[in-house]
Amino acid sequence: MMKVRNHEDLRRTHLPVVKSGGKVCGASHGVSFSALVILAFILMAPARQAGAQTFSLSSAPGGITLTVGGGGNRYSGQFGTMNALGIGTPSAGVTVIPLSNGALYYTPYRLTVTGLAANHKAGVTGFVSTNFGHPAALIMQSCPSTSSCNSSAQFSAMSTIAGAPTTIVPAPGIGNSTVTAGLAIFLPDNNGATAFTGLDTARLSLTMTDLTNNQVVGTIEIRLNSPQGETVQDAVRLTLATASGGLTVTPSADFSMNFGNVNGLGFGPGAGLTTVAAAGGVIYSTPYVLQPTFTDFTSTTATIKTFVSTNFAHPAVLQLRDAAASAGPYTNIGTTAGTATQITNTAANRSSITRFLGLFVSNTNGATAFAGSDAATLTFTLTVP
Amino acid sequence: MKKYFMIFALGMMALSTAAFAATTAVNTNTVSPTLQISATIQKAVQLTLSTGTAAVTHCAVTPTGGTPDYTMNFGTVDALGINTGNCNKFNPAVPGTDNAIYWSDYNLTPVFTSHTAISGTNITAQVTTNFGVSNIFIVRDSANSSTVPAGAASFTAVSTGTPDTIAGPGVTSGTALTRFIGVAVTPANGATVGTGAQSATVTFTLTVQ
Repeated sequence: MMKVRNHEDLRRTHLPVVKSGGKVCGASHGVSFSALVILAFILMAPARQAGAQTFSLSSAPGGITLTVGGGGNRYSGQFGTMNALGIGTPSAGVTVIPLSNGALYYTPYRLTVTGLAANHKAGVTGFVSTNFGHPAALIMQSCPSTSSCNSSAQFSAMSTIAGAPTTIVPAPGIGNSTVTAGLAIFLPDNNGATAFTGLDTARLSLTMTDLTNNQVVGTIEIRLNSPQGETVQDAVRLTLATASGGLTVTPSADFSMNFGNVNGLGFGPGAGLTTVAAAGGVIYSTPYVLQPTFTDFTSTTATIKTFVSTNFAHPAVLQLRDAAASAGPYTNIGTTAGTATQITNTAANRSSITRFLGLFVSNTNGATAFAGSDAATLTFTLTVP
Repeated sequence: MKKYFMIFALGMMALSTAAFAATTAVNTNTVSPTLQISATIQKAVQLTLSTGTAAVTHCAVTPTGGTPDYTMNFGTVDALGINTGNCNKFNPAVPGTDNAIYWSDYNLTPVFTSHTAISGTNITAQVTTNFGVSNIFIVRDSANSSTVPAGAASFTAVSTGTPDTIAGPGVTSGTALTRFIGVAVTPANGATVGTGAQSATVTFTLTVQ
């Protein structure tokens, strides 16, 4: 741990004078002048300023590594690689909270104050002294020491104005002790003109003030640029979900859907299914939901296609069809990537698209007829141009 | 050399596309989750009755939506053929000796799917609940064909025991079959005969084989 020493020069210059009062009296300036000087310093000196006041930072358990430099009042570190969907494992010391409009990457850090006079309390404020070069993509946030700093609601955007800093250690402040606060970078969903991927950095300035006498104890700079800084990656996600009144979509490798017992006459469709007449058989239909999510792309829309990547063992009897409406019309889903069926080319980020999946069951009898279980796999592809 | 290797490694890490679950990916513009669809196909059979179109007049086949599945009403009948009934009739050749036949055409439509063996498929009929009196019984066309019966002799009593085959083997799924059914009213008298409204139930069975 490195410490910032304030008023150090003041103490080196004048305290020996106070301590050597007798010798001062013997100086050539005369008794009356020396007495005035002593009196003046007694009056000017902060009350009960007993020792060196220090304000320091340190890494918190589970937090990023903060490396000290710049004479002890500059710390550096990084949040590493991030994405606005919160996908993947964040860098060491960083925790990610995926949100409905982005992702919050946060880390705890420690603030320590020593040397405060007895009964004095210190508070800390901070602001972003050099903001990220892409402030629409990365937003610095702070959590006060009075919070546990492990949920997004405890963080708020950090001020970028020196004159109106963000409170980190609020009044009534802390005595000589160590507290933990939180730093975070919020990556909002960010598509379109402000989309950004790549490396960015920022600098923060933290100031500790003795709240008892309103004197600044020290100022520290945090540079989020070492060894590299913050790398923003674009990210995509496509999930499927159960639609109201539809078959259950089960999230398992990646998703599954069971039409249950079906027959070529459409008798007794199971829960979540309706039947639609079709030449040569019947279609069992269910709604389902596609949920595309993507961020940091210049395009604000995406394309979703699907194809039968593994067909039924009895493709003449069972076929997968797609429709925009329950009643159809249903069209056969392509069976190769090259003939994939396009569901939409205007999918918006975090939208929910209800689509209808039809299972055609042939009414064929004879040698090619089949009764029993069968399965196929659809591959959905979300592409952001 | 070690330094260059580290730089190279860091560069590759930065440029690489990271894929996690197949539903998500970073540093790329595409992702391809999969959906497994499963189903169990069952064999299915269906046999429906409907009002005929072959005879001169037709007694309506009315689906009830419950039990019994269908009804057909021949109206007021008698052994001498005096009443006209609701559809067609053959008067007794010898009144007081032979039966009067009140009859109608009807359609049977068998439908079946996902059966590999179908050549022996047939339809049978059986009186499962007979009339409560002895002077009336259910009859069918003896020929088991769509040819309109020519006279009372063209009809045979429907079995109350072993079902009678009225179509097949070898009926076609989805193809309607015309058949004829009626009631024979006997001229018998005595303690077991009856008058008034009477009803019986015929059970048709489609067997795909």
